[in-house]
Amino acid sequence: MGSASERSYTRRDTVLFLVCLGLSLFGVFSPASWGQSLSAGLRETVLWPLVWLQVRAEEGKTSRVRLRAITAQRDSASYLVQGLPSLLAENDRLRQLLSLSRRLRTRYVAAEVLHQSQATDGRTLLLSAGSREGVSAFDPVVAPEGLVGVVLNVAERSSIVMTWAHPEFRVSAFTVTGNAAGVVAPSAAGEGGLEFRGVPYRDSVPVGALVLSSGLGGVYPKGIPVGSVTGVVREQAGWERVYRLQPAANPGSAGHVLVLLAPGGDLGRAFPSDSALEAQRLDSLERLRVADSVAQAARDARARRADSIAVIRRDTTRVPPRRIVRPDTAGAARPSTVAPSKPAPSTPPAPAPPAPVPGPPGAAPGDTAR
Amino acid sequence: MIPARANRIQLAVVMLLLVTLHFYVRPRLWGPRVSPDFLMVGLMLFAMRSGPGASAVAGFLVGLAADSLTPARFGAGALAHTVVAYVASWARAVFFADNLLVNAAFVAVGVWLRDFLVLLVSGSGDRPVLTELAVYSPLQALSSALFALVVLLAFREWFSIRLDA
Repeated sequence: MGSASERSYTRRDTVLFLVCLGLSLFGVFSPASWGQSLSAGLRETVLWPLVWLQVRAEEGKTSRVRLRAITAQRDSASYLVQGLPSLLAENDRLRQLLSLSRRLRTRYVAAEVLHQSQATDGRTLLLSAGSREGVSAFDPVVAPEGLVGVVLNVAERSSIVMTWAHPEFRVSAFTVTGNAAGVVAPSAAGEGGLEFRGVPYRDSVPVGALVLSSGLGGVYPKGIPVGSVTGVVREQAGWERVYRLQPAANPGSAGHVLVLLAPGGDLGRAFPSDSALEAQRLDSLERLRVADSVAQAARDARARRADSIAVIRRDTTRVPPRRIVRPDTAGAARPSTVAPSKPAPSTPPAPAPPAPVPGPPGAAPGDTAR
Repeated sequence: MIPARANRIQLAVVMLLLVTLHFYVRPRLWGPRVSPDFLMVGLMLFAMRSGPGASAVAGFLVGLAADSLTPARFGAGALAHTVVAYVASWARAVFFADNLLVNAAFVAVGVWLRDFLVLLVSGSGDRPVLTELAVYSPLQALSSALFALVVLLAFREWFSIRLDA
């Protein structure tokens, strides 16, 4: 049996519990608007610090998530920016290749160059096209800039290309001016360039001359740029000069090439030289200049015509000041224009009428000078 | 022996810590529906060392705050917290031993019972109630019990609870 204080303590607990329980039940069964207004009041007053604390926490969480998202976006943008120059270069190169394929009159196959991580990668290239696409051995391989090499070996889905850097590469060539012919081969000194050999001593080739394939031998068609002359390597016994060539195409950087399937004819028009391109550009500029001058002349003519019309209108609408002429002097001055040609009457001469004064239309009736 | 005034201050400090954890740390946790209910842990710890009347009042106030901050039916939280705190205070005095794991389980049962009462009074549908009571509420009760275990181990002297760990 508990004491009186314990019983009162228990009774007080029970009363508190019942009061809280009653208030809770009242809140449950009271109209929703009462509960909502009471909740709003509590949130705005007593519970405001707690709400503020929770808002700060949510902001921190959201900021963290946003920071992650922004960081991811920045990383993605950085990645894209890093790849953009190479993408632009590849795009430009593909456009050049597409332009070349339009100019070519022979059958061809576009192939991707599968570069290998080997030191001899520039000498031979692995292409993604093979006999299934119609590629066969000794088909020339070209890039937009010029000759890359020749197909050496063909499999069903791939092929091997011997580029101009290969020691066994040879191509018969001539200068674009046609004054020198010879054979182009890789540099004997291993400098990585090309040599234009067998040029007769009497034939001098200027620096910068473009060297094209001559079509002799039947492997390479005529007119494919091989390189441009950069200087003389050596002279042999006074009968031959060997020139150094800057290769037109770079096999090491080629990503896509064209394999010519039925080589033949002259491909010179498919590979316009820089001078031709320059000439075309200058011709375009000249045409533009002529068109501009014609247009300017037309504008000047229109302006002059407009000025003339304005002057005429001004003269015909303006009334000039009347000139006062004495009658006797007028008659003496302009007898043929005023006096009739009939013979003078026998009557004494009457005083002459007032001298005519030139004037605009609408002037006084005495103005007959018009 | 710790003076009563110091005891109350220590209890207030712990409660303030729990309130801060509930409103500032809990929103940042990975799973709000299963993360520990720090307010409920504080209420259960308060009920374990206080009388039934005071526990009922504390439960009513905590429930009133919960009703004001959550879009559930007004009064449901107050009723559930009041009942749970009052029963916890009585049950702690009558049934439970001073064992650490038993006290943690005591908190877990309180959390689950609170959820059950809130859902019952709120009048939610059968399927959401079953899902909540079978999945989320037990997980939240478990996480709350684990956190209560940590609090009991850390502040056992402050709570004046004799634990047989």
